[in-house]
Amino acid sequence: MKKVAVVGIGHGKFGVRSDASLRELAFEAVKACLDDAGIPLKEVESMVTGVAGDEFALALQPSAQVHDYIGFHPKPNFRVEGACATGSMALRTGIMNVASGFADVVLVVGVEKMTEVPTSIATEIMGKAGDSIWEYPFGTTFPGYYAMIANAHMAKYGTTEEQLAMVSVKNHYYGSLNPYAQMQKAIDLQKALTSFTIAYPLKLYDCSLITDGAAAVIIASEERAKAISKKPVWIVGSGLATDTLRLADRESLTSILASREAAKTAYKMAGVGPADIDVATVHDCFTIAEIVAYEDLGFCEKGEGGKLIEAKETYVGGRIPVNVDGGLKSKGHPIGATGVSMAIEITKQLRGEADQRQVKNAEIGLAHNVGGTGQVVAVHIFRRE
Amino acid sequence: MSGERDRWWPFTSSGGSRMEFKNFSLNISQTKVNRFVDELAAGRFMATVCKKCGKQYYPPLADCSNCMQSDMEWKQISNEGTLVTFTKIHVPPDHFAVRQPLMPFSSIQFEPCPFGLLQVEAGLKIMGWIPKVDVKKIKVGMRMKASAQILADGKITIVLEPI
Repeated sequence: MKKVAVVGIGHGKFGVRSDASLRELAFEAVKACLDDAGIPLKEVESMVTGVAGDEFALALQPSAQVHDYIGFHPKPNFRVEGACATGSMALRTGIMNVASGFADVVLVVGVEKMTEVPTSIATEIMGKAGDSIWEYPFGTTFPGYYAMIANAHMAKYGTTEEQLAMVSVKNHYYGSLNPYAQMQKAIDLQKALTSFTIAYPLKLYDCSLITDGAAAVIIASEERAKAISKKPVWIVGSGLATDTLRLADRESLTSILASREAAKTAYKMAGVGPADIDVATVHDCFTIAEIVAYEDLGFCEKGEGGKLIEAKETYVGGRIPVNVDGGLKSKGHPIGATGVSMAIEITKQLRGEADQRQVKNAEIGLAHNVGGTGQVVAVHIFRRE
Repeated sequence: MSGERDRWWPFTSSGGSRMEFKNFSLNISQTKVNRFVDELAAGRFMATVCKKCGKQYYPPLADCSNCMQSDMEWKQISNEGTLVTFTKIHVPPDHFAVRQPLMPFSSIQFEPCPFGLLQVEAGLKIMGWIPKVDVKKIKVGMRMKASAQILADGKITIVLEPI
């Protein structure tokens, strides 16, 4: 594959953004991204927009709202959707654009405005990211699916509710240090453990948030990257994989096949293994999802994810710092923007710009983004020069 | 109720988004496997089996992705097996949400029902409500059986009970 690098990053404030429309949220991120790259929009040749829900946007073609509002026409814009992995799929589509030679400089925007519909409708839209025919009639919700994964994991490996809560405590701690996070508030174990049940055994503090927000990156070919940026961050691995629509059809309920497959592809392409990763963002839509991700990405043995967080190995200073931007749990999870936001955090870490959250001398980073309950998973590996 | 929903929800006109189907609480208004409902009403859990490769599908599918062909036959499967996982959803999606009562000073007590996945054969899992066991007493690995149950509104659903 031709070399591709991230040369610009722009992150909007995540939260309940009743002050801004979807297109205005996207503008914030695009503007910040162009400023970071130090190029005008006219130097961008093509664009990919990740926005997951027409149901959230209450309109078809929300991506057209975005390209119109930033004044991108008549250049090409390509919309991508893959539930919660939408942002990483947009990134991968952008990479394909550059690697194929279709364009040398590509803007990747991820955006979602989820709070314009009431919570019960948002819960329904997300619940139907599973099988809307055969699962949803039992009242399935997203927390419900991951609660089933949690119960299976706890029964098989002895993972505890305390270990789940420890993931939440870590991610809230780092969210408190991230100015773009929705919840900038550290919590203690007791608060997580005594919060009310959303879907047994997952409690309020085991669940990520319903969020509005946008994130954007500019990626470029080798020649253009070197001309644009002093600190290009190279995308050296990209893996995408899929799994069954229904949880019931999976051989394992304690692991996500698509995560393992996407990781295998990305590691191979990058020529690195799990032990080489200095910092990672993983898909912690629920605390159990982060523990399963540790295992599926090879950061620990299968079934040992609970012990990894208990030993604080995923904090800065630990063996493999994970979600030190607050993760979906505390930073927020605007589903179309999440994957792009992950790429931004890794880029910041590899540039050495993560302030109090900086992992010292980070050279190789990984971003892992799950769509639905693993129907689609993207893994990207980044490396600085 | 529906007024509020319609205001927020423009995507209701076709099958799939509302629960309007053939006498059944599953969302299958328009499908080639409607026979499943009639069989379930008669107490039988039916899978489809590919006549070419023998692969079994539950829920029943009209087409075999293993062979890319559609010559399937129906087969009754066991309704007894082992619980592989479960949950109980306290914050429900819109279809299942409890509305505010219209009567002043009144309240609604909402006690949701757990549900789970029962493995009855290798690769075949039946999803069903678990109405008779406290969620804290439900254990992965419990032996259970699935049966059809007619709800108050006349629709049919699936329940799991310990055996």
